[in-house]
Amino acid sequence: MASTQQCLASLARLSLSTPPRAALPTIPKFLVPSVGASQVRYATHTSNKGGAKKAPKKKKQYKFFKSWDLTGMQQFSLCDAMRYLRAAEVGQPPLTVKYEVHVKLRTKKGGPVVRDRVRLPTPVKTDTRIAVICPEGSELQEEAKRLGAVLAGEETVFEAIRSGNFLFNKLLCHTESEGALRKANVGKLLGPKGLMPSGKTKTITNNLEATFRDMIGMDEYRERDGVVRMAVGQLGFTPKQLAENIRAFMAKIKSDISKMDDSTPKLLEEVVLSTTHGPGLSLNAEFAPTDDKIKPEDLEAVM
Amino acid sequence: ACATCSAPRLHYRDHHGNADVRHQLLNIRAGPGAALLPKEVTKVHLQFAHRIEGGHMGPRKFWRENLPKLKYWNPAVPMVVNRTTDQNGPAVMTVYFRDDKDAQPSSTPFPTSSADGSSPAPKPAKDERIVTIDMKNRKSSVILNELLTKTGAVPLQPTAKDEEEFREFEDLHRRSEIDRERIQKMNDAKKREKAMLAKAMSDAQSIKATSV
Repeated sequence: MASTQQCLASLARLSLSTPPRAALPTIPKFLVPSVGASQVRYATHTSNKGGAKKAPKKKKQYKFFKSWDLTGMQQFSLCDAMRYLRAAEVGQPPLTVKYEVHVKLRTKKGGPVVRDRVRLPTPVKTDTRIAVICPEGSELQEEAKRLGAVLAGEETVFEAIRSGNFLFNKLLCHTESEGALRKANVGKLLGPKGLMPSGKTKTITNNLEATFRDMIGMDEYRERDGVVRMAVGQLGFTPKQLAENIRAFMAKIKSDISKMDDSTPKLLEEVVLSTTHGPGLSLNAEFAPTDDKIKPEDLEAVM
Repeated sequence: ACATCSAPRLHYRDHHGNADVRHQLLNIRAGPGAALLPKEVTKVHLQFAHRIEGGHMGPRKFWRENLPKLKYWNPAVPMVVNRTTDQNGPAVMTVYFRDDKDAQPSSTPFPTSSADGSSPAPKPAKDERIVTIDMKNRKSSVILNELLTKTGAVPLQPTAKDEEEFREFEDLHRRSEIDRERIQKMNDAKKREKAMLAKAMSDAQSIKATSV
């Protein structure tokens, strides 16, 4: 018992004078903490040379987002992909299910991103609710309400934001109210939701009518982590409608990339089609089903 | 090793980025429910409740496991699911048949699937007949069997490639079980060591406190 106390006491004092080795065997092995007791200390051994801090192992920094080798990748024509996706989504209410396209780009990390709006041949979203920050009680407020804004004004909108009552999913700001917007300090609440009006997103405007026309019917997309994602259809779309939408989306992305500065090249790597609950299927650029028993018209049935 | 480029296979995600999508697709096209419905079957409608109380587990499993396979092989047949919040409501499958092949298909629109009971099964048109299958308190396999016999559907046997893929995933599952046990042992040993060390430290502290 004394030897146990001795051992543990020296451990408590964290001293170098541990009891002689002979004392240890009297303690059952399973009672001795393995790390503490078996630690051998030499007087001359120093792990820090010259007092410099031990540098942590440096993680390799990658300049480009990771690219996958697509040689063995199973890719699908649009009708084949739709066949699988409609089977995966059978029995779901069709308005709650959307087709989404993920376009993977070969691009450098931390550079400028692709960011724009596109008008799809068959629109997907039908519930854009816009709020406008404009001088309170002015003609602009009336105009905004007339164009279809759910909220207009300055304090009314700011209060709604602060109380968390987001009746809108898009926010515009008239150039005259820019100062008020900055003073209101609502950036922290709007920023994470992507609702902060800015010149870059064309949400600070002089011409309310043109911007309204752009917003209702135009879907925004943005490149995040080297991938552009956007909803391009609803479950009830026919293969033809979906194909048209995807083509329009790809054309817009390609034109956006060509307009960008040559210093940051962006290449299209892969296009993946998915649905709300379904798997993600890599597309080859074809349309027709590979099974000759299936026609594109078969994929138009009620869901 | 990978069949296309001979690289060694990783445990879960292969280097082509496929992950378990292959398994999901395999389960959509092969397994119980993969069957070709005859041309006479025009529509299938299911009605059951959201939760399982009251015998709605069977129909729910049928919807999630067997219906996707049926839909994959019969994409032109509307298969609509109407779910309600009334647990005491019926759990019924309605199959619509049109026996006269030359007749024009009816123009009355079939309701879409819903989660709030707003798409009940419509009455059959003049040239249609219906067959109902009670699904309450019955296993999904039993429901499937009844559907296949009542419609005269032809179950599809999995191809050789599909069978190979099934075996591959079973293999993976078995290997992952073994790995899970091994890692569990390692982690348990580490936890025990840590607990012992902590106990020894705390004992030492208490001894130090009492002796001082």
